[in-house]
Amino acid sequence: MKKDKKFSLVWMLCLFLLIPVTVGAAEKFPTKPIEIVVPFAAGGSTDVLARMVAKYAPKYFDKPLVIINKPGGGGVTGTEGVVRSKADGYSLYLGYGSGHDLVTPHFQKLPYETFIDLIPVCRLSVHSVVMIIRADAPYKTLKEFIDWGKKREQVTASVSTKAGSVDITFQALGKATGVKIVTVPFRGGAESVTAIVGGQTDCGGNHPSEIISHIKAKRLIPIAVALEQRDSAIPDVPTFKELGYNVVTVGSVKGVAAPKGTPPEVIQYLSERFKKVCEDPEFIKSMKDIGQPVMYLGSADFEKYLKDGFEQYGKLIKEFNIKLE
Amino acid sequence: MFQGLANGFGIAFSFTNLTFALLGALLGTIVGILPGLGPAATISLLLPLSFKIGSPVTSIIMMAGIFYGAMYGGSTTSILVNIPGEAASVVTCIDGYQMALKGRAGPALGIAAIGSFIAGTIGVIGLTFVAPPLAEFALKFGPPEYFALTLLGLLMATLLGGSSIVKGLIMVVLGLLLGSVGLDPISGAIRFTWGFFMLQEGVDFVTLAMGMFGIGEILINLEKELTTELVTRKITHLWPTLKDWAESKWAILRGSFIGFFIGILPGGGAVISSLVSYAVEKKVSKHPEEFGKGAIQGVAGPESANNSAASTSFIPLLTLGIPGNAAIAMIFAALLIQGVQPGPFLITEHPDVFWGVVASMYIGNVMLLILNLPLVGMWVQLLRVPYAILAPIIVLFCCIGVYSIRNTVFDIWVMGIFGVIGYLFRKVDMEPGPLILAFVLGPILERSLRQALLISAGSPFIFFSRPISGAMMGFLILFIFIQIVRAVRAKWTRVQ
Repeated sequence: MKKDKKFSLVWMLCLFLLIPVTVGAAEKFPTKPIEIVVPFAAGGSTDVLARMVAKYAPKYFDKPLVIINKPGGGGVTGTEGVVRSKADGYSLYLGYGSGHDLVTPHFQKLPYETFIDLIPVCRLSVHSVVMIIRADAPYKTLKEFIDWGKKREQVTASVSTKAGSVDITFQALGKATGVKIVTVPFRGGAESVTAIVGGQTDCGGNHPSEIISHIKAKRLIPIAVALEQRDSAIPDVPTFKELGYNVVTVGSVKGVAAPKGTPPEVIQYLSERFKKVCEDPEFIKSMKDIGQPVMYLGSADFEKYLKDGFEQYGKLIKEFNIKLE
Repeated sequence: MFQGLANGFGIAFSFTNLTFALLGALLGTIVGILPGLGPAATISLLLPLSFKIGSPVTSIIMMAGIFYGAMYGGSTTSILVNIPGEAASVVTCIDGYQMALKGRAGPALGIAAIGSFIAGTIGVIGLTFVAPPLAEFALKFGPPEYFALTLLGLLMATLLGGSSIVKGLIMVVLGLLLGSVGLDPISGAIRFTWGFFMLQEGVDFVTLAMGMFGIGEILINLEKELTTELVTRKITHLWPTLKDWAESKWAILRGSFIGFFIGILPGGGAVISSLVSYAVEKKVSKHPEEFGKGAIQGVAGPESANNSAASTSFIPLLTLGIPGNAAIAMIFAALLIQGVQPGPFLITEHPDVFWGVVASMYIGNVMLLILNLPLVGMWVQLLRVPYAILAPIIVLFCCIGVYSIRNTVFDIWVMGIFGVIGYLFRKVDMEPGPLILAFVLGPILERSLRQALLISAGSPFIFFSRPISGAMMGFLILFIFIQIVRAVRAKWTRVQ
């Protein structure tokens, strides 16, 4: 009995200590730095985007944004971490709309429900899939490549990872053109670029930001983009659709998400401030320099866009009968 | 070029840049010594600060300092307490720790610092004069070449075991099996995770190394009588003697050149170069039986090789815009965010960045030598701390280090399990070095083998038809053939 009394006293004390804290939090978000989890390795295109946003954020956010890299499981590990954290807006996921959100669920079950356990905050950018070839290859256009490929037993394409947006695009392209395209997975975008620059594979697919310096150096030629419309980061490159092949995806979408249950006013604060960052002329210029288009969308529009993108991948996978080995 | 380098020194010698180079070197040394915290994680933490610095040159000078500074510090824990701070220092444990047990920790640390300085400088000279052609050479390395190179590395790892090749082979096979835990690198299938989501990305190298080496070593020491000075019974010399120097000067030079060439390759350059260097030293030594028992060449060679490799790993980044490892990838990101595009045009578009960073690396290496030599005396004193106090501190640092990698308690448990396994290996006299190295090389081997076979539509001929991989495979087959002939001949003469 005596013990119980002691316990309740401790509890009371704890409660008293808690009250001012919770009241303070309800008053005004944010009261402490906001953690942004990037579920991919540092130095990759999503990481660079996050750090670029964090660089310009102090102008518009009341507290700094802290970037944390939690790579692993193709992005699932880090995303799951955010799903399981407190829904108070201090722990966000950047990269919402990547391969493990839009592509992987078509093949395997994830430890969380991508569209139920996460609330979209806003879209920041879209990393399209660009088909690239070496400048000294015997083919210069998509048509020449297909003619060349049809005469061969197989052609190889370097991709960043199995069953990611790039892999799916090339598998679909193979089915659409009748060329036997064998995708060779590497460990991330940087390694797959190295392979195509070194001539290890016949072609490759990457996001514009990963190849822009090689395009400028005329080592690589971009020949087609797998989007509905052209990518503003490389406006001269035609889409597959323009060239007559119906390989259309939403690429790898880069948005921000919060765990389910985050208060609406917090979501609103976040999406408003991210919007201001996306409208900053200096931010837009820096993003252009690194080959990433700024494509802001608010919470509601982003949610619809993501679901459409998910269905589009599903259609592509079904239409071309793509399977994981 | 000389004009560029002269301008670079002008930039690097400014007060701000000197300060940040020193700060980077200092941080790098600390990070290298602390087990677990690696240069990549440190650079990632400091990225926001680098935007505050403003000038890209200054921030890259600091980050580069952290990266190559960590290579200096990495050998310290290997030698003193038998815990490799990173994959490239695993080999250093073998003879470095033996030297420490014999009271020669001072000469081991000293020769590692001097070797690192010489090798680092040779690497930077290479970066200055022959960067572009070397980068082109690195591009010739595709999956078949990586396969042949890692196979060569694995062969070296087997021979590391010392007394028994059979024991070495057992450890290599165990290491390969451990390395296959996690996602299949090609198909993405989940392997050997036993339902643990945390194992999907495989066992972490640092977790494994700290368990096998650090915790395992402490467990075995618990069996011994707790004398106050377990490691250093006596300190004979604080500095390398003239004899030490004479024995290791060629090892340093050979290590520098091995690291120089292998370091250019994106991927496991530093690890493989330290392995190759150790094997070469053992082969050319007149007393190969001393290896594994505290041969100073076994420290001098690999420590030089990994430093030289650290310098040349900047070559693909600065000339092609290709980041070769995690730390370099962070520097790549930092450059991008500051509006500098690394790649073929870096030298012409941003000569101040290129030459400023290169020049700072000459200065940084001198700073690190000056910084590290006096530390040798301090580190050796650390060994006088009673083991009953030192051991819990080591365990604490191992736990913090392992936790900091992925911020999960799960990894601490994994480390504990490997600690027990490491203890059992010591009981049956099995050297964990080859296991760890096979664990690092296994995934590269598997990935490159399967990538090569995808490219060749399943034909193994691809490994022999390409000049570089063909030459390496030829060397491998010849090497194994000679070993077999020797063994048979030895048996035959004994029979007679």
